[in-house]
Amino acid sequence: MASAHTALPRQSKINLRARSPWAQLFMRLVRNVPAFIGLLFVLAFFLVAIFANVLSPYSYDKQDLDNVEKPPSALHLAGTDTLGRDMLSRLIYGTRSSAFVVLLVTAVNLLLGVPLGAIAGYFGGAVDNFIMRVADILFAFPGLLFTFLIAATVRPAILDWARANGLGDLARTGYLDYAVVILALGLIGWAGLARFVRAQVLAVKEREYVVSARSTGVPTSKVILRHILPNALAPIIVMLSMGMGFIALSEGYLSFLGIGLQPPNPSWGNIMAENAGRYWRRYPEMLWLVFIPGLLFTIIVLAFSFLGDGLNEALNPEID
Amino acid sequence: MATLLDVKDLRTEFHTQDGVVHAVNGVSFSVDEGETLGLVGESGCGKSVSMLSVMRLIPMPPGKIKTGQVMFQGRDLLKVDDEEIRSVRGNKIAMVFQDPMTSLNPVLTIGTQIAESLELHLGMTREQARKRSVELLKMVGIPEAEGRLDDYPHQFSGGMRQRVMIAMALSCSPQLLIADEPTTALDVTIQAQIIDIVKRLKRELGMAIIWITHDLGVIAGLADRINVMYAGFVIETAPVKEIFGNPLHPYTLGLLGSIPRLDEHRKAKLTPIEGLPPDLISMPTGCPFHDRCRYRTEKCSQENPALELGGVRHSVACWNWQDVQKARGASAA
Repeated sequence: MASAHTALPRQSKINLRARSPWAQLFMRLVRNVPAFIGLLFVLAFFLVAIFANVLSPYSYDKQDLDNVEKPPSALHLAGTDTLGRDMLSRLIYGTRSSAFVVLLVTAVNLLLGVPLGAIAGYFGGAVDNFIMRVADILFAFPGLLFTFLIAATVRPAILDWARANGLGDLARTGYLDYAVVILALGLIGWAGLARFVRAQVLAVKEREYVVSARSTGVPTSKVILRHILPNALAPIIVMLSMGMGFIALSEGYLSFLGIGLQPPNPSWGNIMAENAGRYWRRYPEMLWLVFIPGLLFTIIVLAFSFLGDGLNEALNPEID
Repeated sequence: MATLLDVKDLRTEFHTQDGVVHAVNGVSFSVDEGETLGLVGESGCGKSVSMLSVMRLIPMPPGKIKTGQVMFQGRDLLKVDDEEIRSVRGNKIAMVFQDPMTSLNPVLTIGTQIAESLELHLGMTREQARKRSVELLKMVGIPEAEGRLDDYPHQFSGGMRQRVMIAMALSCSPQLLIADEPTTALDVTIQAQIIDIVKRLKRELGMAIIWITHDLGVIAGLADRINVMYAGFVIETAPVKEIFGNPLHPYTLGLLGSIPRLDEHRKAKLTPIEGLPPDLISMPTGCPFHDRCRYRTEKCSQENPALELGGVRHSVACWNWQDVQKARGASAA
């Protein structure tokens, strides 16, 4: 007993220094089961995208003419499509397309939405009015309609321009399709983020520490960048995470409708579109052709939104 | 002593949906070098707004500084450009705010926040600023100053945070420190510590102080002179002994009557001031205090009295201050 008693202080020598805020955040995040699962799927999504060339058994456009429209087998784990291309490889490269679009559209949204929202919120007045009315105009269009409009009208114009300027090769590679999709989604998506950042800035700029920073003569740009935005960061991160799932889905819509990424470049959306007709005629033998990309969409949208929810709770511990 | 800050006819208003709020209505006062001025009055009387106006920190819109002149070291702070006012803020005039729990940025370390103005105004490198920050934290009595530079505000108690705020404010050795109710959010023992620190630093550094408070007890041992404010006006200004010993404005008298005293007779009740301060959107004509005043005459509701001399360095804005003085003499006798 006595020895156990004397041993106590040594055992209870806990680290009194607080763990860094990021480590605490991570711990809170992974303890939340749905958020943790979401995080795993999101990580998998980006890892598959990065290592697509390593992971996929075939090239995404290689035809195996002995095995056309075959269900999953040892040779082709997810079966083959009408042209005898390996579905698994196409889906893996489709992941890469999706991740690429998600990241770049998010970057465009960030670069437009955060500065515009911060400026509108901080300065107010006419600047605020102008930026927010432009955002309102974008909001006035129902859902993805405006995106469709831009993608459908801008794409031919850009392709014509490329061909006219000796960039025909570039037009054929499909890189311009990516540019169009990113442009269409990026130009619309910033409005929501800007409105949101504006609201955050409005709330934070009245806080005493901001007045205090101004009272020490800190220049306006630094007040915004150093004192206001970092304090509005948590909800912005949550918003971005939630938004990524939506962007992945939007790219799917565009590609499904044929105004996004074009075959043979794989995208979950155009894979579904290519195979949808045959699926209806030869249900259920060709179930995998449409079902698997659809399932992937479901998983990734859910994963991003679980992650977003988890981040929201982890960043605002008082919510529970 | 030379005059450090000279404010003349400062008027600040806020344009809101309900109308124009007349927060500060032609305030004039001056502060000498090394002097401590107490600014006393109840909530909403324009104490903080007048000081924020001096620093040009009023949110505009909706705020607007309508008229006024704020002379500081030979220039009018209301007229200089943004660059110049920024070089004054934190450097020549520093501010400490009311609530230490909210006036430090939660996402930056204490060290970063103290270093900010050192790097900004004194052009120090990160290393130099860090060294100076340690000295400053030691100066305000924070133990293990070096180790605490990398701590975040939430790792400090309220009293410690207010010490940090004071260290930040004094980092560039300002000529004027504006303290906006710096002890109101703290408990009484911590209040006393903070006041002692400020007194000591004032002796060592010799800056002038404007101390905003609604607590006459806090200001009694600290200030050289007191301005009493009411509804956006300065209604009485006098050396601290005069305010407590010979108050001439009925409102000042009322304020003093509502403070509990240790030497009071046990059964004696505090005498509150009846009524509420006027609505700053639709100000009454005449003296703003007239409908709460025991000494009011007909003239009070018609004309607003200006400050007039009622003693040595003692001015009061009341038509009937002589009656107040007489009545007090009678009741004392």
